Amino acid sequence: MSVAFKAVQWNRDKLIYDAVLVAGVAIYIAGFAAVAWRWHPPKNLPDVLDIWLRAFGTAAFLMLTVILCIGPLARLDCRFLKLLYNRRHFGVLTFFVAATHVGLMIEWFAVQGLLHTLPADFTTWENYGKFIGFPFKTLGVAALAIMLTMAATSHDFWLGFLKPPVWKALHMAVYAAYGLVVMHVALGIMQYEHTPLIPLMLIGSLGAVATLHLMAGWREWDADHGRAAAADGWLLVGPPNAIPDKGARIVTASGGERIAVFRDGDQIGALTNLCAHQNGPLGEGRIIDGCVTCPWHGYQYRLADGCAPPPFIERLVTYRVRWNQGVIEVDPHPLPPGTPASITCPRTGA
Amino acid sequence: MSTVLLAALALYVAAGVVTGAAFVTVGAARFAHHMTFTLPARLVLFPGAALLWPYVLYRWRRARSDEP
Ligand code: HEM
Ligand code: FES
Repeated sequence: MSVAFKAVQWNRDKLIYDAVLVAGVAIYIAGFAAVAWRWHPPKNLPDVLDIWLRAFGTAAFLMLTVILCIGPLARLDCRFLKLLYNRRHFGVLTFFVAATHVGLMIEWFAVQGLLHTLPADFTTWENYGKFIGFPFKTLGVAALAIMLTMAATSHDFWLGFLKPPVWKALHMAVYAAYGLVVMHVALGIMQYEHTPLIPLMLIGSLGAVATLHLMAGWREWDADHGRAAAADGWLLVGPPNAIPDKGARIVTASGGERIAVFRDGDQIGALTNLCAHQNGPLGEGRIIDGCVTCPWHGYQYRLADGCAPPPFIERLVTYRVRWNQGVIEVDPHPLPPGTPASITCPRTGA
Repeated sequence: MSTVLLAALALYVAAGVVTGAAFVTVGAARFAHHMTFTLPARLVLFPGAALLWPYVLYRWRRARSDEP
């Protein structure tokens, strides 16, 4: 880890990921334009701009769809985790593609000398009372404003500055942006361009996003309700050797908080499963050089007290653990961040 | 009507550019415990600071009054 903020933290994996991402988007946009060109050969410059406008618009919408699918996919199958770790670059690129869509739209008005009519599209107030005829561009502007805010605050610095709960809330707004774009298309182009492709794109996208979220939620609900609690509320983790050495077992408290119970030889400790950096899944990480290491960006914490080693100052909530007749149990009540709480297990199998 | 809205937007952006530039050059370090910034990092922080300038100013002022 370095102690200087860099513009972008690239490594080999991320560079490959970004190259594949950019190439994929470029191929989609070029392919869209090539097909549209054949299908309805453009007669003039506005027609040409219209093709690109649609190519970038649909690209941004499909990217937004993929972004929303990556989360539940990663919860369903850990092979998708790699996509999740790099979702930030995906989001920033989506913003640039959407912004290009808007730039092309402005150009479309400009080349026809119609730029001065554009503001009236937003300020014809009586149209806001209509359903069909609603100023769909305003919906696009609202979505773009959300995407801009997210892209502009995606650097780690902002996570610290805005505090994780605010940052998280801001990034949940991606669902609002998605809804706004769906309406932008449904009330806009879908009303005056009668091709089945547009409703097909919307239904396919909504279907994929909704189905994956329901599947992931269902599986977690199932997993969260199967675990027995001791009479005094402590949660069963299992025998010490059921916890992989230098790894963790994740248990869920009744409130839904996930607790990562780690084992390092015969030392057992429990931390929140949420990394202080970007809420990464700590329990899927490993103990490296004596520290619990987050799988997402490598932040490290001491198992004994949840503190990052100096000079870092992050501190995690810890949980009390106990050894009870051969099994490990954890108290679901969190201790203040940085409280020492690990134990040494009397006897370990592995 | 739309002229008024556009003028308000332009003012907001202008104030954002000034505040954002000041924040990334002298303000940000106050919020980056033990961290320093490379020049590209400052440029990357600029859009966010310009966009959220009222909140940035508020936090900056509060941080200054907290430390003597
Ligand atoms: C300032 C914001 C926006 C404005 C003013 C705007 C404007 C427009 C206009 C005028 C059209 C109709 C295109 C045509 O007639 O061919 C359109 C279509 C579309 N827009 Fe936007 N848009 C904005 C933001 C967005 C954003 C953020 C997204 C996606 C993330 C998006 C996705 C789309 C899509 C998918 C279409 C349909 C393309 C098609 O198949 O014809 N737009 N937009
Ligand atoms: S979320 Fe980034 S290191 Fe854990």
